[in-house]
Amino acid sequence: MTEDLVAEDAKDAAPVKTAVAVLGTLAEFHQEPIAFDLDALVDLVQQINPDLLCLDMTSEQWRARDFGDLPPEYREALLPLAYQTDIVVAPVGGDGPPPEPQAAGWRGMLIGLVRGLLGWLQKSAPGLDAINSGWRHDWANHLYDLTVKLGENDVRSAQATHRQRLIDNIVKTARRDPGARILVVVNVRDCHHIRPALRTCEEIEVRSYTEL
Amino acid sequence: MRPATRLLIFTTSPLRGEAWRALLTRQPTLEVADVVSVIPGAADASSASDIPVVFVDMTLLDVDRVRQLRRGSPHAGLLFLVSSYELAQILPLLQAGATGFVDHNTDVADLARAIIAVGRGELVLPPRIAARALAALTRGDATPSADLVEPLTQREREVLGLLAQGLTNKDIAQELFVSVRTVEAHLRNVYGKLGVRSRTEAALWAVEHGISAGGEEGENR
Repeated sequence: MTEDLVAEDAKDAAPVKTAVAVLGTLAEFHQEPIAFDLDALVDLVQQINPDLLCLDMTSEQWRARDFGDLPPEYREALLPLAYQTDIVVAPVGGDGPPPEPQAAGWRGMLIGLVRGLLGWLQKSAPGLDAINSGWRHDWANHLYDLTVKLGENDVRSAQATHRQRLIDNIVKTARRDPGARILVVVNVRDCHHIRPALRTCEEIEVRSYTEL
Repeated sequence: MRPATRLLIFTTSPLRGEAWRALLTRQPTLEVADVVSVIPGAADASSASDIPVVFVDMTLLDVDRVRQLRRGSPHAGLLFLVSSYELAQILPLLQAGATGFVDHNTDVADLARAIIAVGRGELVLPPRIAARALAALTRGDATPSADLVEPLTQREREVLGLLAQGLTNKDIAQELFVSVRTVEAHLRNVYGKLGVRSRTEAALWAVEHGISAGGEEGENR
């Protein structure tokens, strides 16, 4: 999309800030038993009814409707919901997800332990709120950061690059459609980085998902 | 959240009617108001007038019954289940007042989207025959003037081109990664500039003037 067309979509809109909320999920643990099911996520997003739904997937995946590698909350909950409603999906994942942290020796063992703790956080969460607020949200963030610190350097830089791409694409989406209500649903490890970055963008107002 | 789209199911087969009711009631975005086997006439018009969509599943589609249905529900979107998207079958129905078509290969999600779209006054035509159907519709009729109140912007031409391909507002929004409300705003501007009052007229204008999806004039896709 050219910058001209982006500006044109923006032209007619009043100079209002674009509301963006970032919702975190513990994506990779949805294969394991959890206390709430994906219907809770569907109900929540249906209630929020955003104009645009930014998802961590690539444009190629979107164009090809190739959802096989996507996490269940995208594949089985959010994409079917968006398809049947006015919610427009905006893929913001750039080139694809970065590799998960890995390391040899004791670092690798520690990463495994930390991931076990993350799994427990997910399984013991009574609902989506618990993953998106309070101590579970903060702990998940710290534990994810720890796995990255324990991992190889190239994984660290790949995760940082991917996160920056997410931020850039979310900002681009917001600029293309000022005044739209945008919900970003990404892994909880990215929430703590994306929200502050979006707050520095003057066209964007970062809100809680409960207030979008 | 947008309210669920209410629809009336019209079918001459009670069994199929109940099957449709069971299937469509499960869709969160739809509300089945009633299943009827008799075309709503003038006497029923007041009760049917607030129902924005009539979904028609008739084994034999004859144009007179479609006209009768249009008279009974003058403001509703009329969505037809057809056996195939052949222009020869679709065109007479369009001329009689139909506003959308699905065939037997349509999945439930696409059917729900089509119902919502016709309920908003949109035309739902399969993209591969949309331009031909619109061109055939306009044959012999006066089309809106080529004179524009104001030139279309590049984005407006693009939206208009997608409209002429039979895309719904949601499809256009998804194609451009903007909200449905933004597409609606572009279309309001387009209608004003073309001096047309409806989506069909705008689509006809686009077909007549060869506006393709890229917003360029030339061969239709």
